[in-house]
Amino acid sequence: MKLNICHLYPDVLNLYGDTGNILCLQKRLSWRGIDCEVTKLPIGKNDDFSRFDLFFIGGGQDFEQEVLLRDLHSGKAREILSAVNDEKVFLCICGGYQMMGQYYKLQSGRQLDFIGAINMHTEGSESRLIGNYMFRCGEENGGSLVVGFENHSGKTYLDEGVSPLGQVLSGYGNNGEDGGEGVRHKNVFGSYCHGPMLPKNPEFADLLLQTALSRRYPEVLLPPLNDALEVSAHDYMAKRLG
Amino acid sequence: MKIKIFLAICACKASVFFLRLMGRGGTAIPGKIALKICPELLGHLGKNVRTIIITGTNGKTTSARMAEEIFAQSGLSYFSNRSGANLINGITAEFAGHAGLLGKPKKSFALIEADEAASKEVCRFLNPEVVLVTNVFRDQLDRYGEVTNTLESILAGVKNSPEALVCLNADCSLTVSIAEKIPNKVIFYGVSLPIYEEKVEEVSDAPFCIRCKHEYEYSYHTFGHLGGFFCSQCGYKRPAPDIAVTEILNRGENETSVMMDMFGSPEELSISIPGGYNIYNAAGALAISEAMGLDRDTAKKAIADFSWGFGRMEQFDMGKTKARMILVKNTAGCNQVINYLGNLRERSVFVFCLNDHIADGTDISWIWDVNFEKLCDLGEMLESVYVSGIRSADMAVRLKYAGIDGEKLRIFEDYGELISAMGSQELPVVIIPTYTAMMALREKMSAAFGGKQFWE
Ligand SMILES: [Zn+2]
Repeated sequence: MKLNICHLYPDVLNLYGDTGNILCLQKRLSWRGIDCEVTKLPIGKNDDFSRFDLFFIGGGQDFEQEVLLRDLHSGKAREILSAVNDEKVFLCICGGYQMMGQYYKLQSGRQLDFIGAINMHTEGSESRLIGNYMFRCGEENGGSLVVGFENHSGKTYLDEGVSPLGQVLSGYGNNGEDGGEGVRHKNVFGSYCHGPMLPKNPEFADLLLQTALSRRYPEVLLPPLNDALEVSAHDYMAKRLG
Repeated sequence: MKIKIFLAICACKASVFFLRLMGRGGTAIPGKIALKICPELLGHLGKNVRTIIITGTNGKTTSARMAEEIFAQSGLSYFSNRSGANLINGITAEFAGHAGLLGKPKKSFALIEADEAASKEVCRFLNPEVVLVTNVFRDQLDRYGEVTNTLESILAGVKNSPEALVCLNADCSLTVSIAEKIPNKVIFYGVSLPIYEEKVEEVSDAPFCIRCKHEYEYSYHTFGHLGGFFCSQCGYKRPAPDIAVTEILNRGENETSVMMDMFGSPEELSISIPGGYNIYNAAGALAISEAMGLDRDTAKKAIADFSWGFGRMEQFDMGKTKARMILVKNTAGCNQVINYLGNLRERSVFVFCLNDHIADGTDISWIWDVNFEKLCDLGEMLESVYVSGIRSADMAVRLKYAGIDGEKLRIFEDYGELISAMGSQELPVVIIPTYTAMMALREKMSAAFGGKQFWE
């Protein structure tokens, strides 16, 4: 058994420890004796997207945004779009999450056009939505309680026909207005959750892995792991925010 | 005006006095009170003091302590903000503490470590004679995650220092960019070869050219994004340093010796503290010394005599064993500590204390960018890892995913229990705390084993 993971833009989208998500996926597979290969696709590098089971995109800084958009629009955007439509699993955090939408309208009025894989958009705001936060995933997304750290000035609005990943219990989430956090579209999971997201939310991490695994090996179920340390980090923050 | 200055200084001195009476050492509150009474106080107090400012993301404190040793051995009359209070309040209090009640300075020189964000104001008031910029890295306190923001703050400070001789790290592509935006005379210092035979793998904080956004190429790396960078598209590159480390002669567990080229003359230098990053700190301190025209042999001797600074490899006697404390603030700094630990030749206990107060950085996700995996290479040399602090559970999870054996991992929710566990065994201990964890631990360890409070 083997999963192929693609880490998109590890060279520029690497802020706030988000690469810890990749490490978490790798470890949780290897602890269960499942092989896994991680392919890094930095700017300028391409690959056959159809061979991957799971994609990860993190968040980055504005300085590299131009370089990134140039690369996206020179072909990767199209590849990503078709992988999304093939129902491949994606975990997209912060900047990577925004990128899956239609566009980002900066405060200056300038508009950055993104991949448009999901009917949603982001608007720049004066204030920064920052701090530890907590949300509960919808039933269709496993229903687990997720804790983490959000840090964004963009406010994301889901447009018609698109549902959030979960509902905010503490903190801001997508925009600090409608109570929604993140997005679930086909098998794309988008969120503002740093921390990084997966290590101390093992239930959610396993949901991603199970979804990816089920596409390739329909009858395989992930056996449970000893998550005592993970759960204790999770519960500490849940209690603090609760 | 004179009355206001007088009142502000009195209020500052009095509040420092009362805080100490209560057993507290802070300078931020006294400074704040003084600035409330007289907002321009720092400018008045700095008028007749020749000021040297040190700023940058990492290495400020150690560079400052090394420069201080040079000042002391050169016989200069100086003061410095030793306690690490590097924002405008603390710096103001430091100046007030070294002035008479009418604002007349008691010392000729001030050696000031300034926070990157505060450097703009601090430089405007103090009109420094020398400014040293150590480097620019991503810091977890930077809520925007943008290194270019930090760079802008530092540049604003340098621009407010029209008379200063500016010392810049030639190996940091971000820092070097300051040179072309200022008319000041610049001294570049750097390390012209890889520092480590083997170092941790790191993500670069500045992979793309600051001028044209093309990806940099490197002739060599020292650590992080530091090294022999050049841009093949626009020609932006590492400048030839005036003060360069050209060879590493000996890399000991307790010291390093190097060959340097200082304005064309070869010099052998012994640095009395280990850790590759301290080579930069020593070179930076020497750059200050050269900028001020101090005697070179005295400066070299001072670097050789230098002893541990506050929170930066301080040593504690714990009865049966000794502990070293190394403060960590961000990924780049912590990776340097991991490099250092990787060179230890003695079976040891490591202690990570992770807090998430404002002074530590409220977002602790940076620990996932640190290459803790490297610790596994230590094998038997690593006896055990203790974790503590507010976010000890997160730290434990990080170490688990780094591959640290669960048998070696112990979590202490209480500092008292942590300290007795450290003190009841005989192996050397290295404590790696974030800022507020360091302050708390220091106090508790001093109480348990004796030692000075930081303001003494
Ligand atoms: Zn260039």
